[in-house]
Amino acid sequence: MILFIQTTLNGLVLGGLYALAAVGFSLVFGVLGIVNLTHGIFVIAGAYGSLWLFVNLGLDPLLAIVPVGLALFAVGYVYQRTIIHYAISRASLVASLVVTFGVAMMARNLLQIVFGPDFQTITPFYSFSRITMGALQIDVVRVVALGSSLVLLMILALVLSKTHFGRAIRATAQQPLAAELSGLNVKRLHGLTFGVSAAMAGASGAIIGIVQPFSPASEVLWTLNAFIVVVLGGIGSPAGALVGGLLLGLINSYTAQYIGSSLTTAMMFLVLVVMLLVRPNGLLGNAFGETR
Amino acid sequence: MNRSFPILIGLLLVAIALVLPLFMGAFYTRVLQLFFFTAGLAVAWNILGGFSGYWSFGHTVFIGIGAFSAAHLVSQFGTFGTGPASMIIPVLLSGAICGLLATILAYPILRLRGIYFAIAMLGVGQVVSELVTNISWFGGGSGVFLPSPVPSGVRPEPFYYYIFLGLLVLSFALAAWIRHTRFGYALLAIREGEDTAMMLGVPTERYKIVAFVLSAMLVGFMGAVYGYSVGYFTSSTVFRLDFSLNMIVFCLIGGIGTLYGPVIGAAVMLFITQVLLSRFLDIHLLITGAMVVGIVLLMPGGILGFIAEKRRDRRASHTAEEGTT
Repeated sequence: MILFIQTTLNGLVLGGLYALAAVGFSLVFGVLGIVNLTHGIFVIAGAYGSLWLFVNLGLDPLLAIVPVGLALFAVGYVYQRTIIHYAISRASLVASLVVTFGVAMMARNLLQIVFGPDFQTITPFYSFSRITMGALQIDVVRVVALGSSLVLLMILALVLSKTHFGRAIRATAQQPLAAELSGLNVKRLHGLTFGVSAAMAGASGAIIGIVQPFSPASEVLWTLNAFIVVVLGGIGSPAGALVGGLLLGLINSYTAQYIGSSLTTAMMFLVLVVMLLVRPNGLLGNAFGETR
Repeated sequence: MNRSFPILIGLLLVAIALVLPLFMGAFYTRVLQLFFFTAGLAVAWNILGGFSGYWSFGHTVFIGIGAFSAAHLVSQFGTFGTGPASMIIPVLLSGAICGLLATILAYPILRLRGIYFAIAMLGVGQVVSELVTNISWFGGGSGVFLPSPVPSGVRPEPFYYYIFLGLLVLSFALAAWIRHTRFGYALLAIREGEDTAMMLGVPTERYKIVAFVLSAMLVGFMGAVYGYSVGYFTSSTVFRLDFSLNMIVFCLIGGIGTLYGPVIGAAVMLFITQVLLSRFLDIHLLITGAMVVGIVLLMPGGILGFIAEKRRDRRASHTAEEGTT
């Protein structure tokens, strides 16, 4: 029983990270209709950014979320306004899939050249302390990770539902033409959405860095995770990302505990394929309705 | 230009390819062998991905299944003779196994469209690869052997060079034949608008499945031969994500959905990465990525699409001039 609770706990912590890492992907998928295969690069870039700040300036990874997030926001905005926008207007939405894939390859290679291909971790002072509750044990970093993921997801959900900016994004997602007719600058909003997506990914990367080792090659994994989370939970909403993320985390940790740790990826993809066949819009459906 | 002209050119190229190994060193023979292999894969991928528009991101699964089937057939039933002839039965059976699995897989998975199909295939590739690695009966983790079919006194490079050349010609001939049949036109119709095609009476489901199975079988043949050429392999040797991606990238660069595109794309990319940049292994990804981005942004139809566009432009300006005079 203790083992089961412990496994569940680990799964939930992992799930919080998956949710945060995927929410930006989900947003871009829902609003722009683009499957952004560069998303994992944003996550890993966030991790490397926070590693660099930690090693060179001694900045705590949790504080590093702010500069890393801002930097990646800028990168995401510029990236969408230039390359992605050009690819969509010249070719097609499917072309954006290929373009983002190509950019991901280049970025991975650049990260390998700059930081080396090896696995890295960020180890702040609290990384080895644990909280013990009876027979249950949990690392402090994991609690911190889950907490900050939930806070960031909450902030994004509030921004999307309460602010003018959030309303504008949702309007753009539902009816781009109608949004433009009502005086919204759709191109700029697409850029901003992409920026927010990249910033959330970067923030998740900074947190992931303290929980798990990462290398430039792990970007593929994070992109795929994001896709699975979206397929499980639903497109476009922080709630969908949270549901999908937690489910994925639980699947991952139960499989590792009860079936075999080498089969986690296989199990994740099995769930993905089954889910695609049964309910391709995710458990919570598309947050932006039937328009796409 | 009549229709026999491209066939003549093709025969000429094949004839040149047949005598080339006599004049080349081992390195260039290997590069060309790799070219035939990857171009053959791209041609096979193109039958499904290019003609019918179903982009599979996990086609390497059939390379792996082909290679592992061949290895298990040989270890279960003996070597089927000696020399080159010993390859025939395992390779054919492995292709058939790939076709069978593809048929079973096709029914659920071809219901998905576009990006969902692409990612589901990626998932299938990962699942099969992990299962083969972790279930000890398959031996994917520790590796499996295939006896060398190369006759004594023959170097392996030219031997596999000819075999992969043969497979490329086979795949290309099949693709060319499909392209000009009713079946091929139906696949193009599916790509342009599946619902419309269905409405017009194209049996979309059956045709998609046939395209998928044919593509899988060709890849399976090549996978089995690849297994022989490597001799010893683990699941990470054959279930390689970069195989899947190269098939797409080559088609994309040459011109997706065209007949010659995959071959041209493979030639261009291999020339750049293997010959021009063979010394700069650590920036291969960067170059490939830059090529992919550049092609999509500058010539979305690939090299062949670009040429066709230019030709159309010239013809248009021609008729415009004639109109004014």
